[in-house]
Amino acid sequence: MELVIALGMNGIVWGLIIALIALGLSIIFGLLDIINIAHGDFFMVGTVMAWFVFDATGNYWLAFAIVPIVGFALGALIEYTVIQPIKNAAALSIVATFGLSIILQEGVRATFGATPARLTAPIEGTVLLFGLEYEIYRLFAALLSIAAICCFFLFLHRTKLGTWMRAVRFDPETATAMGIPARRVYMVTFAIGFAMAALGGVVAGPITTVDFQAGVDILPFCFMAVIIGGLGNMEGTVAAAVMLAFFEGVMASFTDPTLARIGSLCLMSVVLLVRPHGIFSGATR
Amino acid sequence: MTAATINRLGLALVALLTVAAPWLLPLVVDEFWVDIYSEMLIWSLLAASVNLLFGYVGLLSFGQALFFGMGMYGVAIGVAKLGLGFWPAFGLGVLLATVMALIAGALAVRLTWHYFAIITVVFSLIFYFAALSWKPLTGGDDGLSFSMPPIVSLGDWELSLTDPTVQYYFIIAMVGICYVLLGVILKSPLGWAFRTVRENATRASLIGLNVYLIRLTAFVIAGFIAGTAGALFAFFGRYASASYMFYHVSGEAVVWAIIGGAGTLLGPVIGTSLLIVLREELSHIWEHYQILVGVIVILVVIFAPKGLGGLWHALVNRIARPETPDPVAGDKREDQP
Repeated sequence: MELVIALGMNGIVWGLIIALIALGLSIIFGLLDIINIAHGDFFMVGTVMAWFVFDATGNYWLAFAIVPIVGFALGALIEYTVIQPIKNAAALSIVATFGLSIILQEGVRATFGATPARLTAPIEGTVLLFGLEYEIYRLFAALLSIAAICCFFLFLHRTKLGTWMRAVRFDPETATAMGIPARRVYMVTFAIGFAMAALGGVVAGPITTVDFQAGVDILPFCFMAVIIGGLGNMEGTVAAAVMLAFFEGVMASFTDPTLARIGSLCLMSVVLLVRPHGIFSGATR
Repeated sequence: MTAATINRLGLALVALLTVAAPWLLPLVVDEFWVDIYSEMLIWSLLAASVNLLFGYVGLLSFGQALFFGMGMYGVAIGVAKLGLGFWPAFGLGVLLATVMALIAGALAVRLTWHYFAIITVVFSLIFYFAALSWKPLTGGDDGLSFSMPPIVSLGDWELSLTDPTVQYYFIIAMVGICYVLLGVILKSPLGWAFRTVRENATRASLIGLNVYLIRLTAFVIAGFIAGTAGALFAFFGRYASASYMFYHVSGEAVVWAIIGGAGTLLGPVIGTSLLIVLREELSHIWEHYQILVGVIVILVVIFAPKGLGGLWHALVNRIARPETPDPVAGDKREDQP
């Protein structure tokens, strides 16, 4: 039973981090109609940048501030050079972001190296929770992810830029006619998407390993959260990510992790076939 | 010359060079390129299966590696575990892939576009993880290797793929058959039904086409093609491994198909050849050559959005004498909605 609770909690923590990353994917997907194959690598670049910051300064907390900002800048640069020229062609976006994914992975392999590294958490120690010793850092990671997700929703619904983003997504032509700088909104959206994935990387860094291939594993998971939550349904994405990871965590306490993964994938295909527009489609429409 | 004539001449030239490759390539470059060329042709089949679905039916599959892997495992398990001969093992591989495509397709083609792409990834991941964990049968991470059975043996004389020349011609014969088959299908009424569904599924159903059945047919044919590629690749490498079923392999096939030009019959060959030649040439020069590959992929997409096949057709149409529109050469496609 303790194992079930521990793995279930790990699942929730991991799900919240995934939710943060998947939200970035979701706004890029929803607003730019870009199927971003490189999104997992944005996350991976986040963990690697966190490693470099820690390596250079010896202070992991700095990474929480620096990495999202660098991620934002990188995202804006990538949008300007790669995404803008192929705007509005979803099929081409797959190929372009695949190229991007290759560049990021190989770039990291060239600079950081091919051997995975581990980061030590900035908060050590455990706390007694539901009758078991639980790592404080994981709780902190969960809280930070929740805070970041809340900030994102506040930004989306309470600021001018956020309103612009929703407006451009709803109807780009009318939005442009009303004076909204759509191109700049696209760029900022992509940059925010990258920044969120990078922040997810910093948060997850001490929990997982720093590895140039880390993005490959996480990408399908993020896409599934986005699709199961319902395309464009941000709250649904968060809920789906947490539920999927929790389910997989609980499954992993009964069988080995690979079988748990197979189980969650099977669940996902059932959801896709029965409710293709997301499990929350009835509630929002 | 008309565009169709130029295309036909170009095709004949490529066919001639392909047949002469075992003599030509050692003269020009290196014997080792004969192997690379066979590998290119095999992988191009995987890209062709993506192209059939995406370029002609409008379904973007990110799971073709599943059928490639089924073809591989069918052959490897057939030879190594069941002790089958060459042809039964080959048949088992292709059959497994085709049946798999029928089952997966029956579920998957109910969905379209993003949802279809995701469910094909999910299906291929399920079997990727299953292959990883079912070690006694599949060998898991290490893969499953086998020794090559002869193609035919009459008394003392036998024909086997262990002879490089036999292997080369066997591969080009099989790949050639697949492309001829694809060509015939795409020119048939079924091929035009594919394109109709791609352009507008609602209208297609209103003129009485069974959209579900047409998509399923395309999916099964694509699975057959990918399975053949997998079976050939298993014979080529004498082993099967779960890593070839990972979604990254499917993703590469999508890239090859789109770089080559989706919706053109031989685009996948061009795209696959380009990227494999790049890999072989650049990997000697720079350890991190992949960065250059990524840059080239992005540049092709930005400057040749219809792929290299599209560039070829544009070039041919500029040189050629204007004529009545040819249905094959004028095989343009609109962007996805």
